[in-house]
Amino acid sequence: MFLQNFNLIIFIVLIILGYSAGSLAEKRHYRSIIKRERQLLKMAVVTAEGSFPPGHVKSSTLVSGSAVISIDYFKRLLAILRNIFGGRVKSYESLIDRARREAILRMKESARKQGADMVINMRLETSTIGRNANRRNSVGSVEAIAYGTAIIRNN
Amino acid sequence: MIMTNVNTVPGKKIVEHFGIVQGSTVRAKHVGRDFMASLKNLVGGELKGYTELLQDSRKEAMQRMEEQARQMGANAVVNIRFATSSVAQGAAELFAYGTAVRVE
Amino acid sequence: MKFTPKQLDGNVNVSSTHPLIELLWLLGGLALLVGLFFFIFGATTDWAVARTPIKVETWIGELALDEFPSKENPPLEKRLQALLDKLPADSVLHQYKFRVFLVDSDEVNAIALPGGNIVVYSGLLKILTSENELAMVLAHELGHFAHRDHLRSLGRGLGLAVVTTLLFGEGSSASSLVSKTLLTFQAQYSQTQEAAADRFGLDLLVKRYGHAGGATDLFASLAKNPGEKFPYLLASHPHPEERISALIQQIKDKNYLVKNTLPWKHNIIPR
Repeated sequence: MFLQNFNLIIFIVLIILGYSAGSLAEKRHYRSIIKRERQLLKMAVVTAEGSFPPGHVKSSTLVSGSAVISIDYFKRLLAILRNIFGGRVKSYESLIDRARREAILRMKESARKQGADMVINMRLETSTIGRNANRRNSVGSVEAIAYGTAIIRNN
Repeated sequence: MIMTNVNTVPGKKIVEHFGIVQGSTVRAKHVGRDFMASLKNLVGGELKGYTELLQDSRKEAMQRMEEQARQMGANAVVNIRFATSSVAQGAAELFAYGTAVRVE
Repeated sequence: MKFTPKQLDGNVNVSSTHPLIELLWLLGGLALLVGLFFFIFGATTDWAVARTPIKVETWIGELALDEFPSKENPPLEKRLQALLDKLPADSVLHQYKFRVFLVDSDEVNAIALPGGNIVVYSGLLKILTSENELAMVLAHELGHFAHRDHLRSLGRGLGLAVVTTLLFGEGSSASSLVSKTLLTFQAQYSQTQEAAADRFGLDLLVKRYGHAGGATDLFASLAKNPGEKFPYLLASHPHPEERISALIQQIKDKNYLVKNTLPWKHNIIPR
């Protein structure tokens, strides 16, 4: 009997820990993302292929950025509950959003370092890493990778 | 809002561009659909429940992307790409991204 | 081509619902769903149990008995027979072939196993102080058999386990979450079963000795070190103090007399 109680208490403690630590980390991450987006706003990123007049481009290179964001216990619980009832898994939305924006920012950063002011033909891929997402006790984590061609112009 | 998956909007000229817009949605199936699907595994045929689920997801992802483009002041989104992945047990994420532009 | 970047304020890709509110809704829904299933399985089981012959229970009982190293104990069985003799002729208990086993262990416990087998631990016998107390314990166990408690809880637990496995697959995280919710319902149900067995036991005790003396003595000794009431929320038995007050209430309602108890004869534990 007391073993059952013990398991339940551990469960509740983990959830509270996951929720508090998780939302703290998320808020902090979003603040950092918004700040860096503002800084790198001037760098143009498009999914289209650009066309450039001859002589304008000094060089071009492939740039990429990636990020892996992990889930917390609270989000996992919400996802499992959603799996029973269906519908939008809101807890994962912020996770993926952060991972992708972070990946794009890192790609922009990498392009800026090379002296480029534009990235064309950007592509985004998302996947899950970590233990198999279908197995029990799996730790979910989302990986996003953004890559494109950075254009360094002749001035 | 005009949407294309080529570099331009055919027949129009792009005058301004605003950067990347993205829309994504994560949807989980519920146990009812799961159960029907496992029954369908015996007889075969289209899994209408899942098809509906993916259609709704795609619509929602595109709506969110459109909304973001509108907030930026664009009237078209070009070079749209779709991607999908499974991020949680029993849930699939669908997202659409493209370049927000203004055409005339 | 002009480039006009713009930093957006909101975030279209994240819903604005507060996660705690979402958790509340989902957990509420889960509790409702599990409760509903528990109720349905409960009703189905209760209907089926009334129609299940004792032979089925005896068959299950033989499987359970192999777990306990024990020997049949004639002095205890004599006391049990004295109780059985006081039952009305149409009682379902007469269809059982009862056996009482003694386990040498310091644990203070007595268990009713399906099929008419009662296991008593010697630790329990060591703290008894009267024949009436022992009769109360045996009568309580008889109460479980009279109400067919084993089949009832088996049906409820198994039924839900089968449905969960069917819907979620084996060992998925969703099924472990559902079984955690199930624990609460099962614990409460077990407590009502125990209380009902207490009531049956008291009535049978009075039929045997003519009075209700000794009914609460065992719980009183257990209640000396009961611990907090909180762990008993999820326990299979009610808190000892609750059991005592329920028995006292029953004694008052039925106007039972309370006389002195008989000291008990120590011829049970083989030396």
